[in-house]
Amino acid sequence: MTENKIRVDARGMACPGPITELVKAYRNAKNGDIIEVLATDPGFKPDVEAWIKRTGNQLVEFKEEGGTYIAVIKVTAKK
Amino acid sequence: MSKKRVVIIGGGAGGAILANNLPFDEFDVTVVDRSPYHYYWPWLLYVAFKGSRKPMKREIRELLKPGVKFIQSGAHSVDLGNRKVILENGKVLEYDHLVIATGSRPAYDMIEGHRKIVEKYGDYHSSEENARRVWSTINSLKQGTFAIAVGGDPYRCPPSPLEGVFLAEEFFRSRGLRDKVRVVFAVPYPRPYPAEPMNEVVEPILEERGVEYITFFTLDKIDEERKVAISMEGEELKYDALVVIPPHVGTDIKISPEDVLTQDRFIQADKFTNNIKGYDDAFVIGDASAVPVAKTGVTAHLQATVVARRLQGEDARNNGRTNCPFDLGYGLGTFVISDYNNPVVKLPPSRFSHMAKLVFAAAYWDMIKYPELWNPIFDAYFEATEPAKLRRIYV
Repeated sequence: MTENKIRVDARGMACPGPITELVKAYRNAKNGDIIEVLATDPGFKPDVEAWIKRTGNQLVEFKEEGGTYIAVIKVTAKK
Repeated sequence: MSKKRVVIIGGGAGGAILANNLPFDEFDVTVVDRSPYHYYWPWLLYVAFKGSRKPMKREIRELLKPGVKFIQSGAHSVDLGNRKVILENGKVLEYDHLVIATGSRPAYDMIEGHRKIVEKYGDYHSSEENARRVWSTINSLKQGTFAIAVGGDPYRCPPSPLEGVFLAEEFFRSRGLRDKVRVVFAVPYPRPYPAEPMNEVVEPILEERGVEYITFFTLDKIDEERKVAISMEGEELKYDALVVIPPHVGTDIKISPEDVLTQDRFIQADKFTNNIKGYDDAFVIGDASAVPVAKTGVTAHLQATVVARRLQGEDARNNGRTNCPFDLGYGLGTFVISDYNNPVVKLPPSRFSHMAKLVFAAAYWDMIKYPELWNPIFDAYFEATEPAKLRRIYV
């Protein structure tokens, strides 16, 4: 199985918000894929954490670099 | 001096506003569209949930200023390197400046079983026919569960899924059926409205009106035999009638080089200037772009005015402003207002905002046709409602 890395740039997005970009990437991903989302919206961190908790996917890393939040997610929970 | 040739692909809100904002003495403007009609898409909501028969389309030719050329043909391909557009009718157009404004379209192949339920219950993001089907659906449902589910991102108009929910709830209550019909809303997000401040406005209204909602529900498939919608993690939602907000994809035009397109066929561009990645003579505006902003008419409109000014030599820039009218039912409304530097404003529900939405709809065709009248009105409006100003009032 090949693993893809999907990079999503949602910097500057206030509405509808970076979580919608994550959801979009998740639809196209398969188990094993890595999704990396870049965002500047301060609400992004709690949203990603809540999303990980509820969907059961894996948060590999969450970091902040110069005002940009970067979430690295491994897709594991798809049925 | 010879006039600059501007080719605009798409005669919707973005394309028509841009064409009508370019002065003739400087530009030779051609608008190309597969359809002879320009649709006012937001009206699908009222066709679906109010049974509106108000016409929602006009001929593109009639909306364009005299002097703008209109060719009714789809564009087959665009060659950005050689500045050429090849039309489906075989004609080749050469340009000095190109603007792609082809919008977005629902994709029905991403969710198993989606097509079947659109044929049965309709939707309000595709056509008048499908929106009228929603109206029949809600009129024939006398008991059970009416569900609206966000099928995936992106889709046109971020408030539209909840607008449908609010209007459906109002409909069933007005028919005296609210104790027999459950209204359920399913979203893939952590909360009913994805942007938190606006969610703080709408979530209490959902609760007050007894609308149930399911969060983190990423729709995977629909089993119409068993009448269940199933999420990617295996969660099931039982329904009697289901309307899905379809995920949208970008342009179907062949574009070279192909790497300006994202996987779902939106065109990558600079979010401040709308220049297509790597091209200073080509632009993409509105829903067709991959720029991280809401897919809505106001975005197309503001980007069109920025591109019009840039073509005339000004260093105009987008600030990412949104201004999405949001029908909350029972004659109430709000607006989703934000920009690149300001999060969404927590604008409280009011009769006034609802009125503003309807007045806008009533004046829409005039706004497209006469920018010399409407530009100063919009300039004043956008200045008076800057998110940085409103945030000081509505905390």
